[in-house]
Amino acid sequence: MHNPIDDLVERLARGMARRVSRRHFIGGFGALLFGAGAVPLLPVARGESRPPAQGTATDPGDPRTCEYWRHCAIDGFLCSCCGGSVHSCPPGTEASAVTWLGTCHNPADGHDYIVSYNDCCGKSECGRCLCNRNEDDKPLYVPGKSNDYNWCAGSQVGIAYHCSTARIAGLAK
Amino acid sequence: MRRGGCCGVGFALVCACTTTELLAQPPALTPPTQANYMLNCMGCHVADGSGAAGKVPSLRDTLVPLAMSPAGRRFLVQVPGASQSSLSDLELAQLLDWMVRNLSARAVPPDFVDFTAAEVARYRRYPLVDVRGTRARLLAATWERFGTMSGTASGARR
Repeated sequence: MHNPIDDLVERLARGMARRVSRRHFIGGFGALLFGAGAVPLLPVARGESRPPAQGTATDPGDPRTCEYWRHCAIDGFLCSCCGGSVHSCPPGTEASAVTWLGTCHNPADGHDYIVSYNDCCGKSECGRCLCNRNEDDKPLYVPGKSNDYNWCAGSQVGIAYHCSTARIAGLAK
Repeated sequence: MRRGGCCGVGFALVCACTTTELLAQPPALTPPTQANYMLNCMGCHVADGSGAAGKVPSLRDTLVPLAMSPAGRRFLVQVPGASQSSLSDLELAQLLDWMVRNLSARAVPPDFVDFTAAEVARYRRYPLVDVRGTRARLLAATWERFGTMSGTASGARR
């Protein structure tokens, strides 16, 4: 009894052997290998190698680093490294409405800004740019002032934590 | 891939522009009492006091009914988020007044009396053990005067 898959492969192989020379096959196969090697050269990957952002005169620093001034009390993965930004969630995630807020000092203008560390929820952990800075962080028994909570518990899309944003909510002083 | 993966070039530009706009000029100074709300309450009760359905109680329907009775005022001071905050008695009194006047979906009655630091100090020293039960009893007692509060009676918002 013939296996239909065996028959199909045999027909294709015999057909190719009749139509294609060995040199032609080797040439085509080599082109395929070379083309596969060139895929990483496509511009889609070049964002990785760009220099660190310097920010602006009023908002200095690179939002993809833990040292960025708004991250003075962040604990988690930076959404700026996960396909989102310092104030927007990556596609496929949703910002938790409940969060914790603190103040961070902007070295550019000397003001203390109220920063809201909204977690982005609904996907598993991003895994990039883990930061743990704890200025004015309080223990877990002061829940409104603790950055150790998974604030996705207040989300409507589930408690899966993906990354954290650092949004400006106001100007403290 | 980092940012380039889903923030395409156009979207990345929009992100950058929005960030720049936020801080091109510092925003107006947030009034101190409102800043105290943001730093001590807003994380859970959100900016307009509506909370999160099924998770964090809304303040919008309940602030006025509670603030109009001695037992309700005591509850508002003793609720853990208020009594255990790092605010002084005066700051907490001013914060409660601000919340009643700015977050309530109900009109503030003309006979509403402002909280004072002495009143806050008097209530604050005694812990509130049964928060949910006390809240439910107090709100049930206000129905005659203020009517059934949307969402509260159905249990959609605790």
